[in-house]
Amino acid sequence: MAWPSSDRVVFPVGLLATLLVLVTVFYYPVGRVLLAAINPGGTPLAPIVEILADPFYLGVAHHVFADPMGVPAGVLTWLADGAPLSAVEFGLFGFTAYQAALSALASVALGLPGAYVLARFDFWGRQTLTSLTIVPFVLPSILVAVGFQAMFGRTGLFNDLLGVVGLGPIEVLYSLPAIVIAHAFYNAPLVTRFVTSAWEGIDAREIESARSMGATPIRAFRDVVLPQLRPALLSATLLAFVFSFMSFPIVLALGGLELQTVEVWLYAKVQSLDLEAAAALAVLESAISLAIMYIYLRYESGQIVSHTGGRSRSRRSLVAGWRTLSDPRRLAVLAYGCVAAVVFLGPILSLLIESVTGPEGAFTTAYYEFLLARQASTAVGTIAPLTAIRNSVLFALGTLATAVPMGVIVSLVATRSGRGSRLAETLLSAPIAVSGIVVGLGLLQTLVFGVEVLGHRLTVTGWIAVVAAHAVAAYPFVTRNVTPALAGIDDRLVETARSLGATRFRALLTVTLPLIVAPLVAGAAFAFAISIGEFDSTVLLAEGGASHTMPVALERYVGNRSIGPSLGPATAMGTVLLAVTAASFVVIDRVGGRYDG
Amino acid sequence: MGESTETGVELEDVSVSFGDVPALSDVTLSVAEGEFFTLVGPSGCGKTTTLRTIAGFETPASGTVRIGGRDVTGLPPEQRDVGIVFQNYALFPHMTVRENVAYSLQYRSAPGDTDSEERVAELLELVEVADLADRRPESLSGGQQQRVALARALAPGPDVLLLDEPLSALDARLREQLRLEVREIQRELGITTIYVTHDQAEALAISDRIGVVNDGRIEQIGTPEDVYRNPATRFVAAFVGENNVFDARVDGDNQSLTIDNERIDLPQSPPTRSDVTVCVRPEDIHLGSGEVTLSATVVHVEFLGDAYRVHCTWNGHSIRVRTQREPDGEDVTLGFDAADVTVIGAE
Repeated sequence: MAWPSSDRVVFPVGLLATLLVLVTVFYYPVGRVLLAAINPGGTPLAPIVEILADPFYLGVAHHVFADPMGVPAGVLTWLADGAPLSAVEFGLFGFTAYQAALSALASVALGLPGAYVLARFDFWGRQTLTSLTIVPFVLPSILVAVGFQAMFGRTGLFNDLLGVVGLGPIEVLYSLPAIVIAHAFYNAPLVTRFVTSAWEGIDAREIESARSMGATPIRAFRDVVLPQLRPALLSATLLAFVFSFMSFPIVLALGGLELQTVEVWLYAKVQSLDLEAAAALAVLESAISLAIMYIYLRYESGQIVSHTGGRSRSRRSLVAGWRTLSDPRRLAVLAYGCVAAVVFLGPILSLLIESVTGPEGAFTTAYYEFLLARQASTAVGTIAPLTAIRNSVLFALGTLATAVPMGVIVSLVATRSGRGSRLAETLLSAPIAVSGIVVGLGLLQTLVFGVEVLGHRLTVTGWIAVVAAHAVAAYPFVTRNVTPALAGIDDRLVETARSLGATRFRALLTVTLPLIVAPLVAGAAFAFAISIGEFDSTVLLAEGGASHTMPVALERYVGNRSIGPSLGPATAMGTVLLAVTAASFVVIDRVGGRYDG
Repeated sequence: MGESTETGVELEDVSVSFGDVPALSDVTLSVAEGEFFTLVGPSGCGKTTTLRTIAGFETPASGTVRIGGRDVTGLPPEQRDVGIVFQNYALFPHMTVRENVAYSLQYRSAPGDTDSEERVAELLELVEVADLADRRPESLSGGQQQRVALARALAPGPDVLLLDEPLSALDARLREQLRLEVREIQRELGITTIYVTHDQAEALAISDRIGVVNDGRIEQIGTPEDVYRNPATRFVAAFVGENNVFDARVDGDNQSLTIDNERIDLPQSPPTRSDVTVCVRPEDIHLGSGEVTLSATVVHVEFLGDAYRVHCTWNGHSIRVRTQREPDGEDVTLGFDAADVTVIGAE
């Protein structure tokens, strides 16, 4: 393609800038972390081998690395003992994978019925509910953790209600079920979204054809509908697994001292400055999540089906007068609705209620007053709530300004057919599968501590590092929203514009961009929300500095026993965070975004 | 439109390939200034690729594209002064009709002394959609959208108008009406126009000259009458209009040829080759005997309104006959004049 001069400059320069940002704030820092684990100046791979050979991390599988020759004998001994399962230890990685698998299953169990309801029934507020399935995804995870504490804690709403009927209290927190339910809170809506959209895309005529050829409704479902839902379900399950595998604040806040995952342990290692072990853990964790992410991407690209000219099936009405209560199907939907309400609304409502409820159950504003008092306090190490709010909003705006152009450029690369663009897309998308802790650690070790570049020592101050880390976490969401819209634009629109005198760049500005405004705004909303809620890397980069954000403040209030056993201040801070997140979403929504990504 | 300089289009040995797949092979053609030239061929034959190469959307692997004598092979589309209309209209959905038509005027000044507002009004008048100026494309019918697309392509006063199956998405009646209007507008403006269609009847009806494209090559270029009456290749004979095509052998005396065992005396000498392809149009064959008479069997009769199309078999060949009279029974006698047999020349 012959490009006129302005085009020859604009697109490559943007791409180069994006690559430069990624290399500076992602590939280089993360690469440094990974290198530290691979060759720390001693034996190559020593830290990784050390972890692999440690029963604490790998459980029974550590023998494979510690004493490979002894494995067959060990297995024989174990079998000779009658293969007692109780003797099998899974270690940290085993437990992390185990809880991720349980979480993925729970997400499917909670999300699949939701997809059925949204795809097959019509009821008041269905559209809104469909839009709302995106919300848990952008809720700060530390906020959800606090919400779960407010709901299931010893003084939480759940035990209060049990107390009213003379039961309890039950300790739900700091247990595996608490973590799994919280992960399901996050990932079930993902399952719902994926499967609903697949279900709605099924052409009614396919089912009608099957029926006219003699299939019963159940057979038609099994032969026509199910095979078309399976890819979406599998994709969502894989994603739920990866997200639960890498989950950090949920486990940190709900796992207590007993239950830890790789990510939490990685954070602990960084805190105790055992950076070599941290790096080795980072390598192993990234390898696992990248591998699963690769499977997901391969799988996803293979299942793109274009539905052209299809007619989707009509939905049945959910409420059908007095018959509603006699129809087992509708009753089941009702029961599901109750469970979903408890899981999804419970934590949020509990958070709001706890923030204004004193120990005796009376209304109080003490916790909010406490926040204001903190603001006035000049004591060292105090986290000022208003500063945290201001920081969060400023970082989010900075993230917006960085992540949106980056995301659009990556989308342009992704939709451009040609050699190399697939590879470029993969390289540009890698950040989605690397944990925030690893990015934060890398940034800390490189840019924040200083890097030698051509004889000059480059250091980056805290807030730039935070924005950089947020932008890296956020731009994939811009890309995921923009790419499908971009791919859906008829090439001939751009060609027409060019034959009418527009350069490639002018055509992009006047034709392409106006046509992707809605997904672009949706992507921007994501970027903003991701930044507001980002905890993993911020907690490392904002350490001791003046650049702490709302989620970091929230975690401090949860963890700070000096302000009493009450969750009050944390729930008050959580309510503020919730309000800011919601407000930013409403604002961006008014600007014109819709979340049909 | 403005001062009219030389605006003809020339392609010289142009080859285009997509990866390893050749799409055009050594295409050479020359369209005169003000001419209405049609590329016709089956889908996938390369006619659209030819158009896109002229517009600058495809870069030839070899060969030269000239517009008005100027080599534009390496120029990007926006520097070519070429207007294009696509089958799916490709109206900008986020702009009104008026904004669509005015789009090019931010890059190119309107021809003549008109300002852009006047220019847009004038064009909307020309294509008879002036009352739709403030509507959005999605609220227009297909025909209206196509008129707007035409006005938009004409707005900057391009040297060349390229029409890529512009009428194919419309229903038959509207298609015939619009093709008349397109032709009228083209005559009025005197703009060099290249039209792409898979519909050979449309090509015959609308064009000054036709290029028949097959498999990335141009098989024949000529006036509609020329292409219809003297097809240069077997493909052209079969593709343009209805035809009955046979293999034949030139007899030793060079005055007659034989299809199977049927001897046909020829008014003029056939080419001095022993094997040739010949064709006879269905409308040149009648029921009853003639200079050449065949005994055939009727397979199927279609009533077309103004005539019957009779499908027959003769010696294992299928023959179509267009006649005003319905055949009486299964066995018919078919006759035609030797002068109506066209010799194509063996491939």
